Amino acid sequence: MIFPTSPEIGGMGHAVKRKEDARFIQGKGNYVDDVHLPGMVFGHVVRSPYGHARLKSINIENAMKVPGALAVITGADLAAAGLAWMPTLFHDKQMVLATGKVLFQAQEVAFCVATEQYAAADMAELVEVDYEELPVLVDPHKALDPGAPILREDREEKTNHIFHWEVGDRQETQKAIQAGAVTAKVDAVFQRCHPAPLETCGCVADFNPVTGKLTIWLTSQAPHAHRTLFALVGGIPEQNIRVISPDIGGGFGNKVPIYPGYVCAVVASLKLGKPVKWIESRSENLQSTGFARDYHMTAEISADRDGTVKALRVKTLADHGAFNAAAQPSKFPAGLFSICTGSYDFPKAFCEVDGVYTNKAPGGIAYRCSFRVTEAAYLIERAMDVLAYDLKMDPAELRLKNFIPSDKFPYLCPLGWTYDSGDYPAAMNLALKMAGYEDLRKEQAEKRKKGELMGIGISSFTEIVGAGPAHTFDIVGIKMFDSCEIRIHPTGKAIARLGTKSQGQGHETTFPQIIAQELGIPQQDIILEEGDTDTAPYGLGTYASRSTPVAGGATAMASRKIRDKARKIAAHLLEVSEEDLEWEPGKFFVKGAPSKAKTIQEIAFAAYTNLPDGMEAGLEAVHYYDPPNLTFPFGTYICVVDIDKGTGEVKVRRFIAVDDCGNIINPMIVEGQIHGGLTEGLAIAFMQLISYDESGNVQGGNFMDYLLPTAVETPNWETGKTCTPSPHHPIGAKGVGESPNVGSPAAFVNAVVDALSHLGVRHIDMPITPWKVWQILQEKGIT
Amino acid sequence: MAVRIEKTFEVPEPIDKVWALLSDPRNVVSCVPGAKITEAVDDRTFKGAISVKVGPSLTEFKGEVKIVQLDPQAHTIELDGKGQDVRGKGGASMKMTGALQALDSGGTRVSTVSEVNVVGILAQFGARMMTDVADVIFKQFVERFQQKLKNPEAEPEGPVAPVSAARVVGSAIGHSIRRVLGGSNES
Repeated sequence: MIFPTSPEIGGMGHAVKRKEDARFIQGKGNYVDDVHLPGMVFGHVVRSPYGHARLKSINIENAMKVPGALAVITGADLAAAGLAWMPTLFHDKQMVLATGKVLFQAQEVAFCVATEQYAAADMAELVEVDYEELPVLVDPHKALDPGAPILREDREEKTNHIFHWEVGDRQETQKAIQAGAVTAKVDAVFQRCHPAPLETCGCVADFNPVTGKLTIWLTSQAPHAHRTLFALVGGIPEQNIRVISPDIGGGFGNKVPIYPGYVCAVVASLKLGKPVKWIESRSENLQSTGFARDYHMTAEISADRDGTVKALRVKTLADHGAFNAAAQPSKFPAGLFSICTGSYDFPKAFCEVDGVYTNKAPGGIAYRCSFRVTEAAYLIERAMDVLAYDLKMDPAELRLKNFIPSDKFPYLCPLGWTYDSGDYPAAMNLALKMAGYEDLRKEQAEKRKKGELMGIGISSFTEIVGAGPAHTFDIVGIKMFDSCEIRIHPTGKAIARLGTKSQGQGHETTFPQIIAQELGIPQQDIILEEGDTDTAPYGLGTYASRSTPVAGGATAMASRKIRDKARKIAAHLLEVSEEDLEWEPGKFFVKGAPSKAKTIQEIAFAAYTNLPDGMEAGLEAVHYYDPPNLTFPFGTYICVVDIDKGTGEVKVRRFIAVDDCGNIINPMIVEGQIHGGLTEGLAIAFMQLISYDESGNVQGGNFMDYLLPTAVETPNWETGKTCTPSPHHPIGAKGVGESPNVGSPAAFVNAVVDALSHLGVRHIDMPITPWKVWQILQEKGIT
Repeated sequence: MAVRIEKTFEVPEPIDKVWALLSDPRNVVSCVPGAKITEAVDDRTFKGAISVKVGPSLTEFKGEVKIVQLDPQAHTIELDGKGQDVRGKGGASMKMTGALQALDSGGTRVSTVSEVNVVGILAQFGARMMTDVADVIFKQFVERFQQKLKNPEAEPEGPVAPVSAARVVGSAIGHSIRRVLGGSNES
């Protein structure tokens, strides 16, 4: 239970307006591309047109004739410095600039530096690269064929196979599936897509030859981790590296990896002794930086005739592209994909994943997702609908029958995760009520009689967020704690610094609200600073909905350290013992005599002016929080669609989203997060795909072909909430940023499939474009 | 990215005259805007170059054209072409078959089927755009081919500059709008 605070204090639960918006909506943000330094020069990357080719020669002669040309850096130059390759976050390595071969279209081949941005681009046009084309591998299903070209010559293992990973009881699951009355099976592809943040990636690398200090303004979701990686890989002493992550125009996982362009800019700055700016174009962002998903999955659910599930078996082929650049810090090759039993009480389960290389851009990153949770949630929610279809059962009824019972939490799932808390029927029942589910089903039956196509899709997902406990996660051995440092000034105002980095999540508003809740200092009296590694305490950054579960925990704990000291000072000021004091946000008062009180502001002033004997001056604290477990937000989404028989166009008529993310810091920001994530989910379900043709040409590498949702396509989102606090989290919060992206794709797809289910349609792969639906309608004779 | 382009046109000239022109790649290439033969390797193999301007960047392909099959009786020709952008921006290969048919009017019908496979920046325009680019190039080709038929010795008039994709894009948008509006699309 959260103690209610006044609107003036603005603790948890208040819909405080976002402090950062004042500058964002006035165009006063400060992004990497806004950084202008004296003497700054510009870099431009030369990219491979081929998906797979041998690099025969690079001629930079004409490029260097461009007025303003300063340097062209090639793979050979980097190789001489031992920097042609860099490690990825998941036990692989990646070429910075190509040497020997190129392995995907748009791969980085050379880096041109000039005094003007346009000159650098002109140089890139004039770098002559001679390639010898090699056979291209784009289909992951053919990666392990005997005749398939072997892509990675650098590896000892001459195969395109990266890893095999399995979890659960293979034999028991097999037995349960054989014994089951019904087995529902679905093959589902979660397509390759891209977060496409509004701001592309980029950096300004500024090496000062006099001081030896390297400052990098970087589009980074994890500035500290990146500083350490630059130190480890580049051999630069860590105290001489300062990473500054200024305002970021959306990350969604795209800004977790280190990209070759960053490394090239740093190398160029070291070489030239000048600041070097490199900013990606839109197409470069879509074609070369971390994609998401590309999971080719099969699920089998074994069940009794009455719908009781008995076992789940999942087999998946993971297409990682040319390098396994999966930006995920879990100890498992498929991240948290083993959350695939979802919200259901499966007695047995088994999950296996094989990763392969193809001639595609490397990845995959966790697009608004905790490392493959989105794939897992989509698969189980799709498979539950297929089971309902096979059993001719209502999908809501099937889910309610199989939910993990609310009294079984904490719940150990058969694939090893301990779910912290949940009340799945509560969220489901609220969503059904908000939707008017029974009436919708009646309406659907009426419409079917008239030949109209209407569908209702349900997704009752469970998430796993808040990376994470040190036993499950690390980045190059660094535990996935996060941190908060709070300093209270003599006048009772405060500054807080965190190891996380907001990219639009509203940290400048929400973290002060946590402190306001814990200390009673009005939230507007607290400023928050993130993203500068010279000032903020070490942290692992913002992604995977980890800021609130991890840094939020650190913020509460640091506040409590300050409160403990404040209590001592209050006792001194009121001349009573600490045990005689009671706390409510904003003041300590003497038990039974509430008028004998000291406010937090009075205590803060005393911390610098009137201390008990022997106490250190000041009122500040830092806390590094290593969570004991992940948190498990959940919800039920219901989508209603109508399909135009003539065009195949799907119209989302309604979308009801009931989320449970535990205790809420700022309901307005939570709602905003849900709106944004649902809109992204809509785009994934209906519009977005990065595919490759048989020659390895990327299709969907620009905004003509890779579509972003606009207000026109976006329906009205109807949101609701239930609240099941996390029992292990200091403020009972769970994280919400990614829930709508994780939970919604299945709701959209289930709705479309439901609209067509009476025609015998059991599954449609995303993106469900009008063309795809129209083809199905033609095939089924519906016009 | 593979695109199959089928084109047919008729010329008011007798088949033998058309065949004489078509069966020599040097003549054919001189009618392609932006293209030239630079070297005859042997009587069936030629080296050449073609330039296509895409936005601000000039894509200059260098490559080889080979006559795979030439049948003067049936009036069919099969060509294989392969080229790479000189600055490493991409490559293209083409397999083209051409067939002539004498018409009752005394003219000749020229039918061509080209399978073009493009790798690189051009390929990212997508199949729709490629077809439109091909349409523009082909339209100019036919005009120049007809001029050349009338006067085999003269260099064909008309644009010798590389096809500019800016123009192609404009033209393609025009085609698309006409398609949407239900107008005819002659190409």
